[in-house]
Amino acid sequence: MQSNVWIGQKDLNQDPDFIESLDKEFQDDVQSSVLEKAPEMEGNRRDFLKMLGFGVTAATVAAGCDIPVKRAIPYVIKPEQIIPGVATYYASTFIESGDCEPILVKTREGRPIKIEGNATLTKNGGTSARAQASVLSLYNINRFKEPRIKNGDGWDVGSWESIDKTVSDAIAGAGKVRFVTNTIVSPSAKKAVNALSEKVGNFKVVTYDPVSYAGMLEANLADFGKRALPKLQLENADVIVSFDADFLGSWLPSGDVSADYIAGRTVSNVNNAKMSRHFQVESHMSLTGSNADNRILVKPSEMGAAIAYLASKIAGVSSSLKLNVNAKKALDAAANQLRSAGSKGVVIGATNNVAEQRLINAINNAIGAYGSTLNMSNANLTKQGDESELDALITEIKSNSVDVIIFNQCNPMYDYAGAADLASVLGKVKTKVGLLYANNETSGFCDVIAPTHHFLESWGDAEPFEGTYLLQQPTISKIFNTRQAEDSLLKWASSDQSFKDLMKMSWTSDMFGAQSDFLSSGSFWESALHDGGFTSGSGSAAAFAGGNIGGLMSQVSKPGSTDLEIKFFETAHMSNGQAADNPWLMEMPDPVARTSWGNYLAVPVNFDGVRTMAGLNGLKDGDLVDLTVGDIKYRVPVIQQFGMMPGTVGLALGYGRTNSGATCDNVGVNVNAALPKVDGRTQYYSNNVGVSGKLGKEEHFSCVQYHHTYGVTGTDKKTGETINADEAATVFVTYGVVQQGYQGGITDRSVIYNTNVADLKDSVAHLKEKRGVAEHLNENTLYPYEEYMDDKYEVGHHWGMHVDLNSCTGCGACTVACMAENNVPVVGKREVSRHHEMTWLRIDRYYYGNVENPNVVYQPMMCQHCDNAPCENVCPVNATNHSSEGLNQMTYNRCVGTRYCANNCPYKVRRFNWMDYNTADIFPANQPGMGLDTDVPFYADDLTRMVLNPDVTVRVRGVIEKCSFCVQRIQEGKLTAKTEGRRLEDSDVKTACAAACNTNAITFGDMNNKKGDLAKKLVSPLNYIALEEVNVRSSVTYTMKVNNRDKSLDA
Amino acid sequence: MLFVLVYLGALGISHAEPTADAGKTVFKNYCASCHAKNMKSAMTGPALANAEANWADYPREELYAWIRNSQALIAAGHPRAVELWNEYKPTVMTAFPNLTDEEIESTMLYIRGMADGTYGPSVVANGSGPQAQPKEASNNFLYYALFGLLALLALILTRVINSLSKIRAAKAGEVYQGKTMWESLTSRGMITFVIFALIVLGGYTTVNKATDLGRQQGYAPEQPIKFSHETHAGLHKIECQYCHDGARRSKHAVIPAANTCMNCHSAISYGSEYGTAEISKIYASVGYDPNTKKYIDDYENMPKDSIQAIFSKWIGDQYIANTDGVDELDKVGEKLIKSEWKSIVSSLTNDQKESIGGPIEWVRIHNLPDHVYFNHSQHVTIGEVECQTCHGKVEEMAIAEQHAPLSMGWCINCHRETEVKFSDNEYYQSYAKYHEEMASGVREKVTVQDIGGLECQKCHY
Repeated sequence: MQSNVWIGQKDLNQDPDFIESLDKEFQDDVQSSVLEKAPEMEGNRRDFLKMLGFGVTAATVAAGCDIPVKRAIPYVIKPEQIIPGVATYYASTFIESGDCEPILVKTREGRPIKIEGNATLTKNGGTSARAQASVLSLYNINRFKEPRIKNGDGWDVGSWESIDKTVSDAIAGAGKVRFVTNTIVSPSAKKAVNALSEKVGNFKVVTYDPVSYAGMLEANLADFGKRALPKLQLENADVIVSFDADFLGSWLPSGDVSADYIAGRTVSNVNNAKMSRHFQVESHMSLTGSNADNRILVKPSEMGAAIAYLASKIAGVSSSLKLNVNAKKALDAAANQLRSAGSKGVVIGATNNVAEQRLINAINNAIGAYGSTLNMSNANLTKQGDESELDALITEIKSNSVDVIIFNQCNPMYDYAGAADLASVLGKVKTKVGLLYANNETSGFCDVIAPTHHFLESWGDAEPFEGTYLLQQPTISKIFNTRQAEDSLLKWASSDQSFKDLMKMSWTSDMFGAQSDFLSSGSFWESALHDGGFTSGSGSAAAFAGGNIGGLMSQVSKPGSTDLEIKFFETAHMSNGQAADNPWLMEMPDPVARTSWGNYLAVPVNFDGVRTMAGLNGLKDGDLVDLTVGDIKYRVPVIQQFGMMPGTVGLALGYGRTNSGATCDNVGVNVNAALPKVDGRTQYYSNNVGVSGKLGKEEHFSCVQYHHTYGVTGTDKKTGETINADEAATVFVTYGVVQQGYQGGITDRSVIYNTNVADLKDSVAHLKEKRGVAEHLNENTLYPYEEYMDDKYEVGHHWGMHVDLNSCTGCGACTVACMAENNVPVVGKREVSRHHEMTWLRIDRYYYGNVENPNVVYQPMMCQHCDNAPCENVCPVNATNHSSEGLNQMTYNRCVGTRYCANNCPYKVRRFNWMDYNTADIFPANQPGMGLDTDVPFYADDLTRMVLNPDVTVRVRGVIEKCSFCVQRIQEGKLTAKTEGRRLEDSDVKTACAAACNTNAITFGDMNNKKGDLAKKLVSPLNYIALEEVNVRSSVTYTMKVNNRDKSLDA
Repeated sequence: MLFVLVYLGALGISHAEPTADAGKTVFKNYCASCHAKNMKSAMTGPALANAEANWADYPREELYAWIRNSQALIAAGHPRAVELWNEYKPTVMTAFPNLTDEEIESTMLYIRGMADGTYGPSVVANGSGPQAQPKEASNNFLYYALFGLLALLALILTRVINSLSKIRAAKAGEVYQGKTMWESLTSRGMITFVIFALIVLGGYTTVNKATDLGRQQGYAPEQPIKFSHETHAGLHKIECQYCHDGARRSKHAVIPAANTCMNCHSAISYGSEYGTAEISKIYASVGYDPNTKKYIDDYENMPKDSIQAIFSKWIGDQYIANTDGVDELDKVGEKLIKSEWKSIVSSLTNDQKESIGGPIEWVRIHNLPDHVYFNHSQHVTIGEVECQTCHGKVEEMAIAEQHAPLSMGWCINCHRETEVKFSDNEYYQSYAKYHEEMASGVREKVTVQDIGGLECQKCHY
């Protein structure tokens, strides 16, 4: 690996334990832990004889048995659109607490199994990781299966009639009825709520969001007269300054933000490269920050000062607020560049402070961003909440005036900072109705549960941006005795109309009126349903009417004076825990910290000047500490994080759920209660914080950071030479004595190449030289095998992949898509901590550049399908071998589990089924529970198994598995081409990862198709092959990472 | 002149001598869907054994007229015609105006032959299936005979050696101590040989049995409905893919849904072999009332008793209508109703499925292991493989059975030998090298193996 690229502090420190551990492919000896878990498996001689006797008898009996009779059950009346064995796709919309994405739902025999992007309504047809995972929550074993009415401490199963009567009676006699909800993004759902409000005298909708945008909404109301958020149009941006806004992660996730962002950062012409410059002002390394060119580090409480400073520079006034020198210098540069970029600049902020947001508005207005990089006339409507409404609700309840509360698909008892206050007064409310999907913190407080459908069982619509309308349609008939929330509302409003009819009516009138492509409302409805929505483009005008920068500057939050501050942040996959009970998301590592199953306190690493990094208070990865925020104390594990502002720690939201199922209950800690409030708005930082020293070790430290690394160099203890740490072998033969040692050879491995856009030409020349050396080495092989010849794969297809590291934001959608497509099991926290995660596709995160404030490159790493694969020739049973189409095939039914292949894989992409993760076996001792408190394995129940892809084998214990290049999709694509009697095009086959990518970072195709999409990508001079010099002839090509870092700030 | 010649020629053909073989063809094509092949039992139409006798009082032409258009004859008030109509109405005999006199006579010959058992070829035809068996048996017999002969030879030789030894011993003046049978059987050599033989035999059997584990060639389980492919595919020549409509477009060939059955069986409600017994099961599955010829509303919630009432009436009525000399429900009829209802219930319900309505749970015959991916459309639509290649002569199977072993060796072998439809499909243009080789004559054909058909991940993923 290049000397300026590192994985983490263990790598940078040359941590001796870490370096030594690398030559072991398998870190944890599983046999010992099985014995520890199942003492009954220990045995003596008598047990052995018993087992032997039983075994022989059982084998005899089994051999004499008939094969079990299997049934083939056809339909009674087969629906016309279903062909068993062929997938049907429906356009729909993923909606979760306001966030929405147009999607396609893949169903097999009427059962949704996979979410795909909707290429008609999005730029690249990708999705987020959360949308990918949402199909699994349809089969959540903890979801409500029938209506319930509280009876003392327990629940009675109710009928819908009894529920409706209870609720209708409660509403009829009620003084005040309050409807608590997250942002309702659906125009039709709002109509259903209105229908209910008309029936009740004193009805109010209390809207709040799991993560607050209230300050920004208020600021826009003040400046534009419109309580909405701007639509980001980053494809127009040359200079992006983001104050803590994680727009590539969970912050305001809507539309094509990452696709637009990447569009401005693609290097298409090496000789005339142009990239946008991205400054990220933050205290903790976020996903967006990790993609930025320059990160400007400030303490969380200095954010207001930083915004004010930039505003003062743009407006030419002075700011008196305290700010660190480095930040000031960098913000000077940012201000200059913003000013020269003019309307091609943009400033985004996540702060929940009205004055700070108004300052950002003023800056944007000053540079002319509105109408170019920001769009307020097609404003973003996905967040409309205000947590102060919940505060007001508590006051109302205290005055004994609220009789009925309806919780609509939200979880304030978890994600509202004042949950404890609300809980203490809820007893005064006579009837608490939960329109809820599954057990959660809020459901425990309800008297009546009217269980709702999953969004894949529901009708619905959404208006994420003014003028953009999306449709949601059911893709499976309801699995349990549930009812769509809007239908419940209409029922309680004594309406005879179903929600579907209401929605269809408003579409065939209102939305039909907003477009001009269709003349009949019927064909408009059909087309919108087919496409998943439509865009009319029309919005409402909004002119900037704010601007008193001087006045606003006095209102920004003042920098704190304490030594230590904490930043609470959302991760890309967990947000504020809305889908924390989803095992796929729980197991997906946070892209930046690479931790899974819990939130870990990110502590800064300090550079002591001699290449040794020390964490805060000398803390190391996995140490347990007591964190005190205000008067709340948490026991949390620590993760050392590069790129943190010194004197700042960070902790993620969304964990520590309770009453929500084994997946997420008590996994991590819930920090919502610790969030302070300023002016009624939740703040996501605190300077009233203390961190103790090391109090112990986390038992199951689930950070995949140092699992499956490759290309790491170390220093050999004996010789002092630099060596490849993962290549210990018996190589030194001195006078007949065989010794353990390291192979010689190249230590400067091609793992990551990076450059600055200004140095591009030199770097391309350098890369060419390096590749030349590799090619020269590879030509000098001792084995002139036929298979080395270039024409080996010229007949038919030769599958290959291209991964553009410049387009990859590290969001992780591909990793979840891969799990969903390929039946990859969830192994649980304990197993992850033992390096047993089964993911076929991992995203390696590398730091490079400045040790104190590094840049980041993400490298999706999957089986490289080497044409000269080292795994293949060590398999004793030929279970892994090469196909004529260049695929490295893994045959599970032939594998005997020697694991030689995994040992010999230079990229560390092969995964071994140490345990029976898919519960195919019959011995429970082999089946690890998913969470820590449960022994229930992931696939143990039939409901969860409904998500399995029927075209992919479910693997058993004791076999190796790995990325297959989605061979089932390859075969399907070939069949389609054959059926249509035409040549195969690259678009016929998209691997699950490539299809899920929002930014088109992954391209899959046939290398023999010289006109294909892949061939176009393969000509770039930035391309390289990972570990090209070891001559494995990989089929995956990466590109050099190019940043646009302002190097004048480095000095 | 030419026209006349052609006409005469045509006449010549049509005036060919009636034969029972020609009659068989006519019968199969036109009559067999309603009249029983054994000529002795009634189906949708009456038994034909006595047809000639019943029409003996009338001119032969009137029998022809009846066959060509029965309704016309009934309308004309022909006494025998009216008699038959009263017995069978409202079932209308299909009109066959194109049948020639000779064809009818041939059919009569065939009917006569079948009725009195003198029609010969059928015996041969029936025997064609099991013929393979005796052949195999005779082979075995040869082996047994050879084995016996050798054993006898060994015995004789032993005796001879024994005698010679005795003689030699006598000549040398010694007393020959011949080994007793017991001694030779317990000798070291013998025991070694037996153990060795047992190990070889045991190993051989174990390996063979282990390989066969999970394979069920010839598997022909009893199905909930005695559906006969012979009747449907053989006799009535219904296209395989009419029912198995997934074969051309999906990985599954698809067991047809009950509504596919109803396409025909809403009209054909009395089976040629089992009468009401089997077809009623389809009705009970989909909720069709054959008495009123209507689908039942809200069938899912219909009580079992009401369902029983519907089918008891139906079975009873059909029994009366289809049995000679029965005008009202007798004891035999009662018994029939009971047994057929019992069979409906037992076929359509099980531990997991209590209601009679709902899908028919067929027994799956062709089971591939879960780690094998097989796609019908690839083979049927692209490869244009006949169904019979893998499934055998299904059209001759009264009870469906697994024809092929479905073993990997069997698959692989076919992939080795089968030629790809290479030039017809533009998809294969990407195999340019093979096209060139074929054009230059270097390559004769492209088999599935040549395009990677033997590779693991063509079927295992």
